[in-house]
Amino acid sequence: MNEPLARRFAAMSGLGLAAAVAVWWLGSARLAIDHGADAARSSAEALQIAWLVRALLVSMVGVRIGAMRGSRDGAAASIAVVAPSWPVVAMAWSASAAPLTQTILAESFLVIEALVLPLVGHGLRRVLPRSEVAEPIASALGVALAAALWLIRDRWAFPSGG
Amino acid sequence: MSRRLLLLGLALCCLAPASAEPRIELGASPAWKGWTRPGRATEIDIRLKSDVETRASLDVAAGRESIGADVELQPGRVARLQVTVGPAPASGVSVRVIRGPSARRDVTLAQSESPLLGVALASGELVTLEGFHAIALAADDLPRNESAYSSIDALIIDAPTLAALDQRQLGALVAYTADCGRLVVLNAGAEVRRLLDGARGCGTAALTNALSLPEAKTMLSASLATSTPPSLSLGSASTLARPSHAAWNAVAVGLALYFAAAAVALVYLPALPVLLLSPALTIAAIVALLQGMQPPSQLIVWSEGRSGAPLARYQAWQRFPGVVRERVRVPLPPQLGAAVQPCEAAQAVRFEVDASGGRALYAEFETRLFRQVALCYRGTFPMERSIDVEARADGSHAVRNSGARAWPSGMLLAKGLVHELPAIVPGAAAVIAADARRPAGDAAVRLASTRTGFDETAALWALDLSGVAGAPVDSTGWLLVSAAPKR
Repeated sequence: MNEPLARRFAAMSGLGLAAAVAVWWLGSARLAIDHGADAARSSAEALQIAWLVRALLVSMVGVRIGAMRGSRDGAAASIAVVAPSWPVVAMAWSASAAPLTQTILAESFLVIEALVLPLVGHGLRRVLPRSEVAEPIASALGVALAAALWLIRDRWAFPSGG
Repeated sequence: MSRRLLLLGLALCCLAPASAEPRIELGASPAWKGWTRPGRATEIDIRLKSDVETRASLDVAAGRESIGADVELQPGRVARLQVTVGPAPASGVSVRVIRGPSARRDVTLAQSESPLLGVALASGELVTLEGFHAIALAADDLPRNESAYSSIDALIIDAPTLAALDQRQLGALVAYTADCGRLVVLNAGAEVRRLLDGARGCGTAALTNALSLPEAKTMLSASLATSTPPSLSLGSASTLARPSHAAWNAVAVGLALYFAAAAVALVYLPALPVLLLSPALTIAAIVALLQGMQPPSQLIVWSEGRSGAPLARYQAWQRFPGVVRERVRVPLPPQLGAAVQPCEAAQAVRFEVDASGGRALYAEFETRLFRQVALCYRGTFPMERSIDVEARADGSHAVRNSGARAWPSGMLLAKGLVHELPAIVPGAAAVIAADARRPAGDAAVRLASTRTGFDETAALWALDLSGVAGAPVDSTGWLLVSAAPKR
């Protein structure tokens, strides 16, 4: 897979993920409006889902592409996964009771993750004496990071009302 | 010598502001001697006094609701303000003078699990009634705001106490009788009886006159044995509201356009700057669109009265759709501002009250996208509708306008069926055929049907709200007038 194609694929994945979260969030918000309820709870859940799925994707994609194609390409692909969700995140934050600082911190974490993990993958390739084992090790490391993030997901929970 | 004069002048100059600092006296006492029921509103009577002319800022905090007012204080004169507070076990009243002292009083309310019986007798006697918690009241313990009457379940009042009530207290008491509040008046004069009889909302079931205390007790027990129409619950008018989808539509269209544009950009221009710029531009565009639209509030008024009664009670519901996260300050319709509270107790709202009239002028609250903050109003307004209905054997109804004013066309509800009711001039009659039925698909008709007993007949009209100052463009109102049918 060449570099523009990899980035395009990552961006399409990011856009697809953003669209799926947007459809779910808009649907639940519409139901809340129709029933006179507050859409803050479903908006907080949308923020949580959007953050968690992107964090897991970047963990797996970033290290692997960094190891395969270098840190620059890895960072570009990871950012392409993260950035398309920003309009949905901004709207969901506006409809939620989540603090602005928490939301910005969560997005900053994703951007930092998208920049750092490809560097780790790239470093792995350079450190390992046999370059062909770098790719599976990078993939395994990405999965381990994703699993760790899954385990601590509740620490990033957004407040659902207020 | 000149130096001494200069020092004296300086001393006087420095002492003058210190001596001009006002001394503030603050007093706060709750209505009903501090008794209320859980979840019900009550009133706090606030007294302020200063030794100099000054402007004071008053703040009342009760649960998630707060009330603010600017009060002009005259030297030596007591300024009084009665504010309605929502259900909260304790309230804090504080007053602050600019560059001056501040004072604070805490008001604790006793919340009774048993129904409350107010006994306002000049003799100070206390009547006991099984199952009720009785409170001995003086004239000044009775509230000035009608909504504070929700704290009690029944009231016995005698003529001397009635005579000691001021105009606002009397107005609130009249509104309580119009709202089917259970009241026994002891030895009332003919004039007071006429006033209360004219306003009563539930015939003789709720308002009775007694000549002695034992008779008052017996009458109250008899009144409690009969059921009165259930009070309109807070926010019941909200069932007539249509949800506002303007903000949702704008966000949905904005996001759909973004996804379409981003997909096209990815095909033809998959560069990183494009990937970063398009979300940023989309956020800016949607926020600008939402800021620009500001959907108007929606007001719904539901009112009820008995045929021939001079007052109708109403419950109004106003919804403010939110579009962005911000703190908003909205003006309230002046005619409705006397008794306003958030429809949801969990909603934090600050009301700015006019200190001279006690009416809420503005409401301030946090809002956000898709949030629909609702405020509930209640009260009474003068009504001139008198309806005579005769049910005929063939199923038709003869309806006569026995009042002094013409009616617009409306609907007639009889025996669970809904009929079209034509406009009728005073003294004229119309026959509503049995087959002139219409389906009860309308939300207003459904609510009217639930509020009308099966053996009752009622007429439903749309209210003309053009006379309500400050009412939003999207305002709807209904008046349900019930009349027992003649056979």
